[in-house]
Amino acid sequence: MTPQLSRRHFLRATGSLIALPALKSLGFRAFAAERIVARPKRMIFLGLGFGVTQETWFPDLNQPGTEYTLPDGLAPLARHKNSLSVVQGLSNQYSKDAHWGSTFWLTGANRFAEAGQSFHNTISVDQVAAQTLGKETRHSSIQLNGADPNIDGQGHGPGLSLAWNAAGKPMGGLNSPVLLFHRLFSEENMSLEKRQAMLAQNRSVLDAVLTDAKKMQRNLTKTDNDKLNEYFQSIRELETRIAKGEQWLGVPNPKAPFPEPSESLRGREEVKLMYDLMAAAFQADSTRVFTYRQPIETLIKSLGIKVAAHDMSHYAPGERMEASQLRDRSQSELLAGLLDKLQAAKEPDGTSLLDHTCVVYGSNLRSVHTLDNCPTVVAGRGAGVKLGHNLVLPRNTPLCNLWLTLLRGVGVEAERHGDSSGVIKEMIA
Amino acid sequence: MPSFDFKFPRLFTRLLNAGVLGLIAGLFSHTDAAVTEAPQASNNGVHAEMPEKYRAFFQSHCTECHGEEKQKGKVRLDNISFTVDTVKKADEWAKILNSLNSGDMPPEEAKQPAANVKADFLDALSQTMVMARKALSDQDGNITMRRLNRREYRNTLRELLGVELDVNGLPSDGGADRFDTVGAALFMSPDQFELYRDLGRKALTLSFQLAKETPKVQKQHIEPELELTAKMEKDLAYWNDIRKRYRKWTLQVDAAAKFPENVKIAAELKEKTKANPAKFYFAWDKLQGAPAPKEFGFSDAIDADMMNGRWETHAPYIADYLTQPQVKTGAYLASANIQRWINVRVPAQWPVGAYKARIRLAATKEGPTNRRFIDFLSGVNSAQLLSTHQVTGTMEEPQILEIPFKVESATGRSFAIAEKSMLGNADGFSFHDVLFASGYQANNIGPEFAVWVDWIELEGPFPSSQMTKSLSDVRSMLEQFEKDPNNALGFLNEFSQRAFRGNTPDADFLDKLARLYEVRRKGGEKPTDAILEPLSLILASPSFLYLAEPAGDEKKRSLSDLELATRLSFFLWSAPPDPELLRLAKAGALNKPEILAQQVERLLADERAIEFTRAFVSQWLGITRLDFFQFSLKTHPTFDLPTKAAAKEEVFQTFAHLLHHRESLTRLLKADFAVLNGLLAGYYGIAGVQGDAFRPVKLPAESPRGGLLGMAAILAMGGNGDQTSPVERGAWVLRKLLNDPPPPAPANVPQLNRLAGKPLTTRERIALHQEDAQCMQCHRKIDPIGFGLENFDAAGKWRTVDLRPDVPPQKREIDASGAFYKGPAFKDVFELRDLIAAKPERFARGFVEALIEYGLGRAFGFSDEDLANEIVAKAGAKDFQLPEFIHALVASKAFHSK
Repeated sequence: MTPQLSRRHFLRATGSLIALPALKSLGFRAFAAERIVARPKRMIFLGLGFGVTQETWFPDLNQPGTEYTLPDGLAPLARHKNSLSVVQGLSNQYSKDAHWGSTFWLTGANRFAEAGQSFHNTISVDQVAAQTLGKETRHSSIQLNGADPNIDGQGHGPGLSLAWNAAGKPMGGLNSPVLLFHRLFSEENMSLEKRQAMLAQNRSVLDAVLTDAKKMQRNLTKTDNDKLNEYFQSIRELETRIAKGEQWLGVPNPKAPFPEPSESLRGREEVKLMYDLMAAAFQADSTRVFTYRQPIETLIKSLGIKVAAHDMSHYAPGERMEASQLRDRSQSELLAGLLDKLQAAKEPDGTSLLDHTCVVYGSNLRSVHTLDNCPTVVAGRGAGVKLGHNLVLPRNTPLCNLWLTLLRGVGVEAERHGDSSGVIKEMIA
Repeated sequence: MPSFDFKFPRLFTRLLNAGVLGLIAGLFSHTDAAVTEAPQASNNGVHAEMPEKYRAFFQSHCTECHGEEKQKGKVRLDNISFTVDTVKKADEWAKILNSLNSGDMPPEEAKQPAANVKADFLDALSQTMVMARKALSDQDGNITMRRLNRREYRNTLRELLGVELDVNGLPSDGGADRFDTVGAALFMSPDQFELYRDLGRKALTLSFQLAKETPKVQKQHIEPELELTAKMEKDLAYWNDIRKRYRKWTLQVDAAAKFPENVKIAAELKEKTKANPAKFYFAWDKLQGAPAPKEFGFSDAIDADMMNGRWETHAPYIADYLTQPQVKTGAYLASANIQRWINVRVPAQWPVGAYKARIRLAATKEGPTNRRFIDFLSGVNSAQLLSTHQVTGTMEEPQILEIPFKVESATGRSFAIAEKSMLGNADGFSFHDVLFASGYQANNIGPEFAVWVDWIELEGPFPSSQMTKSLSDVRSMLEQFEKDPNNALGFLNEFSQRAFRGNTPDADFLDKLARLYEVRRKGGEKPTDAILEPLSLILASPSFLYLAEPAGDEKKRSLSDLELATRLSFFLWSAPPDPELLRLAKAGALNKPEILAQQVERLLADERAIEFTRAFVSQWLGITRLDFFQFSLKTHPTFDLPTKAAAKEEVFQTFAHLLHHRESLTRLLKADFAVLNGLLAGYYGIAGVQGDAFRPVKLPAESPRGGLLGMAAILAMGGNGDQTSPVERGAWVLRKLLNDPPPPAPANVPQLNRLAGKPLTTRERIALHQEDAQCMQCHRKIDPIGFGLENFDAAGKWRTVDLRPDVPPQKREIDASGAFYKGPAFKDVFELRDLIAAKPERFARGFVEALIEYGLGRAFGFSDEDLANEIVAKAGAKDFQLPEFIHALVASKAFHSK
């Protein structure tokens, strides 16, 4: 028999199980403004899975620099042309899986690096960033996943979101705007004392299950121990969240900037809403790092495209190519909308959110089955890199060099990332 | 039968010579070079080797720039090792493969290898890379501890607590092309602990509630005509009133048009609207003295016209409905908007659970046979198809259908009965509009009524006997606890023993749980509430979530009987061992071969074994692909959702049939029967099969059905819902039937667009693959097989012509002839099928590899060579009877070792 539980119920319950206050107050904002002189840096990584229509998406390689024409696929971004750069020539040297646009995009890992395993991954750049940028916010980072991991053929590859933790394990993502809304703005009716008691009890809860885990750990093979480590890791991350919960105790909840979204939104509307919520989360300073593994099947369906995503990715002139191009333009339109939002949101010092945010949009897959010249758009002044450029780099410049450049740009002191060989000097303004 | 050979096994044999077989206890003494060259530091003695003969290719095309003297890009290939036995070497070779595939190398200005030579080289290298990766990731038979996957977790809660939860909120399992039982691919993401705790608590709460008070069986009888016939009468009056008002208005406008002052203008207007005289009334306001439509209850002339138009498509059809012979005793399912469904509501106060709907119904004489089906759906506005049923009763002798269904939540209480595909998500296609339009066109009324429903009865809940048993266990534990609420420790101990599948919980763990209980008790909670938290932690603890088999790193050990019981029941039931298995395990009897074999038989005969069939088969054959795309119902109008569901079910039902009747696995390659129900038999054009139950049906001699290659689901997967894809189909056959999987689609191969948009047959289009070595290397093996299946359209229906609009009319005739690459030719699908069926050991071998992976929960590796051979041999000795494979695996040493 099945219990009487709606999905929405379930979302609410899980969102508030380890009860964390959801958002900083206006009062906190004033306080924060006084304390923080430099505005905090933020990062957004948007992974589009299957690549783009190469014929109509990439700016002309012969027009490097600022004097370039935005091609059809990027045209809707025209009003932000000076706030973004298209970076060409990047690739992940180890990426060979022609349907995996997201698995190694932010990690650059070698799938086969570990002898005795057929799959290996390493930490993703967003999680490196979150270790520093996430210190002061309620959520170190938030992962969103719009592409159902149960449905193959969306060009993302294995993974539950774009993010992989320090052990190279997949991190789960929130899969709907409703979930994100609740994570950010859920009302918390519990009294302070009660919440304190709950946090304290959660510590005893973790202590209890750890006892069982430790007992089990004693007699396991090394491989099994590694497996069980994932459990420990999940408990440790909860502990961190509880610690954060304590820090945030007594911070009353703000009002959500708009009403709870409908659960039925799919595709284009869903992406738009996710973007709105990201901007709202930055404004409320709930987190400073987002990754979003974007929907494909539902997106193209919402655009009235009848071709399946994988077929679309194998475009040839005609219906499939038109579908692919429509997808490109719609994605660019949506991205332009996000940049609008970030541009319009003012920081206490009068600058805009876009001045302090670095948005990366792209995929490990270029077009069809190709994994070089990964489509890459970097937008926003958060990382201090050159904007307004069609930046043509030497072929097969490690994608991880871009990640390293951006990490340094937002003030994360990383020595390297993945297989990086250095920062991209051409990007440093 | 001509014998033919595939390239893959040759390479394979070579590797085996070099590695595994050479090392297995010196069974074989090899003196050839491959053995003496065996590397020191390879994995398990198996490694991939690029055949030496390809060194010539390097000398002709690479070493001039990448040699000892000139090392362009710091790459040197003259001394590269052809033994690919380390990750580093594999990465180097992967780069070579990649630059050849992408066309970067040899550079444009250099001499190019002939397409055939290059394709052979690429083929060998791709295969070598597959071998290398497989060898390098070989786990030497070690099984990584696994957590319960979603299915197993749901089933375990059901066995333990007698309740079934929706667990779709948990992250999905598997990935990287692995079965969902493979421990190494099952992760625990940071949020998961909380999800488990939350779900566990919900399951416990519900279980306690049901254990305390067994819900009474409820019953409700519905006579649909009471509501429906009255509604139809009301609707008819409504439409007739509209009609009356419209007529009144138009008559008065006509009268006004005859006024002398209007005659001229009226004539002009009539002339203008000659083509559509009703439009004349749109200009009523140009006629002096004509009344406004508002006076007759219409907002304007357009509204009046539209409502009158709707009268035409509604009233006559409703009137026709009301003259049907049995409207006073039952309800007809209608096809258009007038009443497409009968709504069935489960009363709000009835508990969630398993129910039955009994429906007395009949097919009318007038309705065509293809409309003698009903759908049972949940909801109405966004109705979801639950099941489809054939209506075999007649008006003289109605039948009674019994449909099991589940009520899963407080809100989902609305169900509906409709004619097949007339309601709900029909893949975006309005069947009911099409049907109505065709009926209306013929008689200006509407289509005939095909199904009549006398009454509907709802009854339930009926928990399964297994769930009832679990609930009664929970009840006795609870009663014990309520008698002595200070002994939480006792309850927690007993519950964790069960939850941990017979393993003893740690005393310290129990103490800590008991303390959590105490805190809650002190906070004023009732004992049965306070115990929920510690119990839900048991259900979120590693001993529950992981199937642990403690062991040292040094050498393998035998499983304990208890561990064996767990492994066995998760293999065949995806659920924990039942009391019988635990009893045998505790008595130390389970590892006795004859007892173990009996238990395998018992488990397979149990209804829980359906989990094995569904989960294993759908992953083994990749059936989920069927759900990836919508079918174009314009081109394939008969492949609607109910048919698609039946087609998918055929695969499972066929496998289950073979399993339960000890039939040979090779029946999946070729059989003189198919396992069908009425709906699917109708789709295949096979007469004489009635009803919803799947059963083996003897096929006519000329039928292309029988075996996987005759199944609509398999064929439909090899397409995109609109057109066939010989490439998908060919690759599937190589992967699943011939165990000769093509290497993964290579990255960075330039796209061939040269002929896009030109009118071409599928064959001509795909022939492009032969122009280019990078494509040719695999497609020369894949495509011909796909061509052989072209007589099946994208929905798996038989066809002799390809009606795709861009095929030139003179080339529509399908040519299904072809030849295996370096192998025999076939003239049609029958010959193709026979050639494949002549290699049963290949198919059996692929099946065994999948079975090992699923059953042992780890990737199939080189170290499993002898295990696989042994199983194939054992089953082969008994004509590949399906259960024999399972017996052989369960009896193997690997199944008993950690």
